[in-house]
Parts: sequence; structure tokens; C-alpha cells
Amino acid sequence: MSDKLADMRFIRFLLYEVNKIEELLQYPYHEDHSRETFDMAIDAAYDLAREVFWPAFQEMDREGAVFDGSHVAAPKAMHEIWRQCKEGGWFAPNVCYDFGGQQFPLSILAVTSFLFSAGNSSAAMYVNGAWGAAHLIESFGNEDLKARYLQPLYGGEWGGTMALTEPDAGTSLGDITTTAVKAPDGDHYLIRGTKRFISSGDHDLAENIIHPVLVRLEGAPPGVKGISLVVVPKRRVNADGTLGEFNNVVTAGIEHKMGLRGQATATLMFGEQGECHGWLIGEPNKGLSYMFQLMNHARVFTGIQAVAGASAAYHCAVQYARERLQGREITNKDPLSPQIPIISHADVRRMLLQQKAFIEGALGMILFCAKVADRMQNTTDEEEKKTCNLLLETLTPCCKAHVSDEAFKSITAALQCFGGAGFCEEFPVAQLLRDNKVFSIYEGANGIQAMDLLGRKVPMEAGAAVRALMTEIGKNIAEASALEALKPLADKVQEVQNAVIDVTMHLGAIGMSGEVNLYICNATAYLAMFSQLVMGWQHLVQATAAQQALDAGADDADFYKAKLETARFYINTTMPHTLATAQVLKAVERTALDYPPDWF
Amino acid sequence: MKIVVLVKRVPDTASVFKVASDGRSVELDGLKFVMSPYDEHAVEEAIRLKEKMGAEVIVLSAGPPECKEVIRSALAMGADAGAHLLLPGDTGYASRGVAEALAVAAKTLEPDLILAGKQAVDDDAAQVPERVAELLDLPHASIVTRLECTATAVTVDCEVEGGQFTAELPLPALVTAQKGLNTPRYPTLPNIMKAKKKEIRELTLDKLGLSGDRLAAGMTVTAMALPRQQRLGKILDGDTAQRVKELVRALREDEKVL
Ligand SMILES: Cc1cc2nc3c(=O)[nH]c(=O)nc-3n(C[C@H](O)[C@H](O)[C@H](O)COP(=O)(O)OP(=O)(O)OC[C@H]3O[C@@H](n4cnc5c(N)ncnc54)[C@H](O)[C@@H]3O)c2cc1C
Repeated sequence: MSDKLADMRFIRFLLYEVNKIEELLQYPYHEDHSRETFDMAIDAAYDLAREVFWPAFQEMDREGAVFDGSHVAAPKAMHEIWRQCKEGGWFAPNVCYDFGGQQFPLSILAVTSFLFSAGNSSAAMYVNGAWGAAHLIESFGNEDLKARYLQPLYGGEWGGTMALTEPDAGTSLGDITTTAVKAPDGDHYLIRGTKRFISSGDHDLAENIIHPVLVRLEGAPPGVKGISLVVVPKRRVNADGTLGEFNNVVTAGIEHKMGLRGQATATLMFGEQGECHGWLIGEPNKGLSYMFQLMNHARVFTGIQAVAGASAAYHCAVQYARERLQGREITNKDPLSPQIPIISHADVRRMLLQQKAFIEGALGMILFCAKVADRMQNTTDEEEKKTCNLLLETLTPCCKAHVSDEAFKSITAALQCFGGAGFCEEFPVAQLLRDNKVFSIYEGANGIQAMDLLGRKVPMEAGAAVRALMTEIGKNIAEASALEALKPLADKVQEVQNAVIDVTMHLGAIGMSGEVNLYICNATAYLAMFSQLVMGWQHLVQATAAQQALDAGADDADFYKAKLETARFYINTTMPHTLATAQVLKAVERTALDYPPDWF
Repeated sequence: MKIVVLVKRVPDTASVFKVASDGRSVELDGLKFVMSPYDEHAVEEAIRLKEKMGAEVIVLSAGPPECKEVIRSALAMGADAGAHLLLPGDTGYASRGVAEALAVAAKTLEPDLILAGKQAVDDDAAQVPERVAELLDLPHASIVTRLECTATAVTVDCEVEGGQFTAELPLPALVTAQKGLNTPRYPTLPNIMKAKKKEIRELTLDKLGLSGDRLAAGMTVTAMALPRQQRLGKILDGDTAQRVKELVRALREDEKVL
């Protein structure tokens, strides 16, 4: 196994040279920080990822989570990972001091999540689950809920989940049937229903698990407008914070999955075998909008997981390609000459470049979003906050869907570098591929993300979200164009940007005319085109920073030169395809829309 | 009780190394630097002693300004304070010169116990701590895999070729850490934040009344080369019994390691 999971030099380049996150130090929330604390945090996370998460990666897959009919045991190695994360404060890097966090920026949290996920995504999800549950309660819960739940969740004492999906309500959350009835006595609700596919849903890593659950209150309006959010602990929590009795959250089973097997993906029955108490988070019938706030984080986190897996696979592939001897230079006809490492073959380097370019573009997109989220969280300027929000709204489906779609392809290329050995479970790439598949499915399947982008984000505030992004992209294209060496690349990205705007206007007219089905039927192609523009833009921004560093006589010139070439590779090989997709979209290809179900 | 830990900033051995254009040193550009891994064991042991019996742990490092990063990571593990002896240049010091400087610096910190890694993973010289001890006239023990400490003495298991021995040293003393001694802890986020506020004392050769002349004295590097890469892997044929037999034979006769 490779002992390299990520390129830390590149991550530092993104954080400090491209995104200039030291700008965040101006905000009071981060005033105790410095580049030094950031570096120490990401270095510590990388050490943990390599030395604690990664060695358990294959083992957790082979052992899996185990259900004995009533309880779930997490894989053995997960206990040590949990302990390390708890001791290290990794359940709450960004959280405020009052709740036990260290007030790191989200940009750093994104990197540490990336590193842990590169080491072992199943494991990272247990930790992230607790963070997510706490984040919801912190954002929308009342003081009592905060007092009871936040410290133990952020401190790694308890686990957490988010429980939306039901057997008959996956994509269509408006159809959930789990109910909450106000208890005749007390401030709680009585919960009944079944949730399915709940990540970290049950395990023995912590003495309690906190489930934020989507429910319907009695008399709630049908559909998404009648969904509320309640917090349901596995064991009730007394007013003084001590644990009370079992809350009748019963595990019916866990899934046997193609990947992420170290994860306990549970079916949970609430209140089927006795009273199950839940407490309302925020106001009635606002549950879905609360959950969406967390889901935006969760979607970006899914993209992070996806590119993290691609990063681990890429570094395995590089190592293998340097070591595996096979074949000779095409021009070498001497059969007795020694065979050469496969990395000497251009086609193998093409596969490695494809991965590297994807990873660098995707990380660029994700860390751009993280910095925007940091600004949004900290700025007092309402205009800026609004712009940040618009940028995040548009980019979130790209971070989730495009990154997970392409990560899978990237790992396919990594596996291909291994030849037959890649198909065998001895090397970790096969598992990395299996693990990665679900990222295009959960947190809203990618088809749904595409509809979210085209159906909701593009028309949002009369196109303001897309405009905000295009303005940002335009600025950077102009900056790159001013550097002679980058002008050809900038022109290509510019051409694609023009095409994207053109297609968007064209589709907009169809949408305005009321032909909603026609408008949306090529959403997936639209998301691909749109995201490739974003990736091309990110490469261009990185290339600009690299060129500037070279012009300033930077020390490690090879790093910057490699960055420039990677950007060139992405832009030259992808942008023409993007233009082709734009053509398809403009032609409003409608076969799938009209094709009768009976004909299949 | 006061424990001083000697730590060295070294290139991460996972880096890709190149010989610099002078042919006599390592190209430093693009290298990532870390605390020498054996020193991490020394820091860990000091923190454990602190937790067990109460002690002040001071981490001392000599070298360029960037040594502070290594000191900070020891502080993030839980050490109390740091001391940085600024040396001119980046590399090219000789063990003797550095030991002379460190001995004077360590003495100003008045340690009851000095801990260090058994060797630094850059030059692997394994000389500096022992030289420091001799210069300070302290009893010392090297390559230690177990350590127990009282207010007046330290008992250690030392690795020696083919076995180990146990020794008791009266304090003050110096001990060098081997891998098996403990498992170094990871820096925690709360400790990273605390580390920022901990003091790092600035020491200079001037302030200690030393001159830089002796740092490199007594050693001349004439050439530097990367180790030859050889693929000596060998795959054994036959069933398991045959292969084991062949393996044992090869280890005995060809490699002469058994
Ligand atoms: C490993 C794993 C972990 C999970 N963890 C959690 C968790 O922690 N919490 C949680 O609540 N859920 C979790 N889920 C559930 C996950 O979010 C759902 O599987 C996902 O939302 C899709 O729902 P579904 O499986 O019911 O598929 P369906 O909704 O049945 O969708 C099937 C296919 O049809 C398409 N489709 C569905 N409706 C439409 C439509 N209206 N228009 C166009 N296309 C449509 C979808 O895109 C998809 O391709 C997890 C799932 C897995 C596999």
C-alpha cells in the first residue's frame, strides 16, 4: 500500500497561495489562529490519516460492521480511530470554544475531512455523523437541547446521524410517514416510524447515539411543507446530562453493501417496541429547510469523500506505475534489454494525468467553496454574505455530483494502471472503487443534483446565482489573460464560459415558455457542462498562481511547472468536450423525454 | 523536576532526495521537514513522566529559524516550553560542534534529566546526545526501550547487540530513546492552540558566549551520492515446505544473516 494519500504541497498551495486563507485571520472568530496553527492541524490530520485511518482501511472492509440481531458492533479497528479522534478534538475543529471546539475555519475542516476520508471513508463518516447532528442542534435547537447534546457530541462522547430516508421515501422526502405526536405530559413528542439506510445508525463506539429525524406532526400539511425535525436519542438524556433509559430506537438490521462496509448502515425502528421520545428542533413544519442547511454541508462533504478516495487511489497508482516493470520503449527492439517501469509509457502517464487533473480541479472547487463558506460565516457585510450564499448554492450540486461522478472514473483509471492486479482485492484500489460508488447516490442522487442545479439554482433570484459565479470566473479569466503564457488557456475557458451562458439563456427561454419537462430533461448534461467550466476555471486560477510564483523566482519551480502542465492537460483535453456537450444541450435533445416506458 | 528534550529538525525520509549542485550536500528546496522520529519518542517519554510525577518539559533544538516549527509540534504534544538555539546556515554542522553548543545551551536550562532520540534520521550519526552528556559530565544510557524514573535516579533497559541490559543512573543523567520505548501521541487540536501561547526561548551562540567556528570543524564532506537502487527481490518456487527450506538456506548461506 502506498503511504502517500494526498499531496500536501498541493493542498498548501491551494490554501495559502490560491485561496489565501490567511485573510480569514482578520475575523475575530479566528483571531487566535495563524498559518502555524493551520499547518499543525493539517499535518496532524495527515499523520492520523496515514497511521491510524489507512492501516484500518482494508481490515474494516473485511470485518464489516456486525449485527447480532439486536446490537451492532463497529469493526474493531474503528474503536481506536474513534478514541484518537476524541482525544485529538477532531469531532469539532471549527466549533466555538464554548462548545469544546477550536474555531478553525471551514477551509481547514474541509482539508482534515479530506485527509481522513482519503485514509478511510467509512471511519471518517462515524466522526462526521456526530458533527452533523450537533451542527443541526447548534443551528436550530433551543438552549435546553444545546445544553444537553452539544458538548457530548462535539466532544466525541456520543455518536450522531441524520435520519431522513424511509423504505418508501428516498429521493421523495415529501412522502415520509414517520410521525411525531405531542405527548400528553412533558415537552416531548412520541415518535413512530422506520428509517432506512442510516449511516452510523447503530454501533458500540459510544454510549449514546443522537438521531435528528425528519417526521410529520399531527395535522401537518402533505408534502415537503409538512416536515418537521426532531432529535431522538438512542438513550434519553436527563436534565443534568446523565443518561436515562433506553428510548426504544431499535435496530432492525444493517445493509450488506458493495462498499463502505465498515459503516453500519442501519434500518432503525422508532417507537415500535415502546415509547420513543423526540424533541422538536426549531419550529414545526420547517424541518426540511433546516435539514437542507446541513445537507449543503453534507453534499460538499460527499464531494470531499469522493475526491479523497480518488486521491488515495491515484497515489497508489503512481507508486505502482513506478515499480511495475513491463515492456520497453516503442523504439527499443532489443528483447534482451531490461523491461522499464510502466510510468515510462505515455499512455500510463495519460491515465495518471487524468487522475491528477481531476483531483486538483475538484479540490480547487471544494476549497473555493470552503473559503466562501468561511467568508459567509464571518463577514458582517450583508452584500458579501448574500453573494457568498449565491455562489455556494450554485456550486454545491457541482461539488456533490460532478466530483462524485468523476471520482469514480478517476479511480477506474487508477485501477487500470494496475492491470490485472487492480482487479484483485490485494491492492486497495478495488475497494476504493467500490467505496466510491455510493457518493453518486446518497445525499441526493446525482440526477437529482443536476435537477437542483438547473431547476432551482439557475433560475434562483432571476439568475443571480449563476451571474455571481460568472462574474467571479470572468475576473479570473481576465487575470490569466494578462499573463502571456496563460492567454491560450484563458481563451479556451472563456470560449466555454460563453457557451455555458448561451446554453443557459437558451434553456431559460424554454423554461419561461412553460415547457418544464423539456427544460429539465437534459439536466445531467447541463451539470456536466457547467461543472467542467468550474473545473477549467479552477485550473486556470491555479495556473495563474503558479505562473506568478515562477515569475517571482519561486524555489520549487518543478512543483509550479507541474501545476501549469496539469492545468494545460485538463483545459486542452476537456474544454472541447464541454463545447460538444453545449451543442447537445442547445439542440435540446429530447429522445429520453419522449421515449415511452413501454418500449424498454 | 526539569526534563530537557533534544529534538532535531530533519527532512521527512519519505521525501524525494536530490544531491545539490555542489555535489556535497542535499538539495533542500522542496523538502518537507519534520521532527526526527526517535526524538518523538523522547518527547513522548518526557510528557509521560510529567503526567506521572510532575515535571517541566523543555524542548531544545539547534538549527535554522524553521526549527521553531519542530519545537511547536513538541509543544502541541504537551511539552511546556521550548528553547531554540539559532545556528547560522542550514546544514553542514558536525556532531562535535553541535554537541558543544547544545551542551552549553542545555546547561543554562538546568535539567535533572535530558532525553533525546537515539539518532537523527538525516545523518544517522548517533553521537550528539552522548557527546552532550560527556561534555556535561553526566551519566548516560543509549538506545533505551524502557525507562522508570524517581526523584533521584532513572532506571533504563538498553538495547545492545544480541540482548539488553538494565542500568540505574543517578540524576542528572542523559538517556536516548529507541522506538520500542513508547508510542508517541499525536498533537491534539486543543494542544495545538495552547502550543501557540507557550514560550520559546531564543538562544544565540553569541548570548551563550560561543563562536560559530567550531560548528563544522573536524568534518569535511567530500562528496554526496544517492544509494544505488538495486532490485534484489527473489521469488521462491515450490510448495510451502520447500520454499521455507530454501528461504532458511538463503538467509544462512547467501545473505549470512542467520
Ligand atoms: C450507504 C448509504 C448510506 C446512506 N446514509 C443515509 C443516511 O445517513 N441518512 C439518510 O437519511 N439516508 C441515507 N441514505 C439514503 C440515500 O440518501 C438514498 O438512498 C438516496 O437519497 C436515494 O434514495 P433511494 O435509494 O430511495 O432511491 P430512489 O429515490 O428510489 O431513486 C432511484 C433512482 O431514481 C431516480 N429518481 C428518483 N426520483 C426521481 C425524480 N423525481 N426525478 C428523476 N429521477 C428520480 C434517482 O435519481 C435514482 O437514480 C444512504 C444510502 C446508502 C446507500
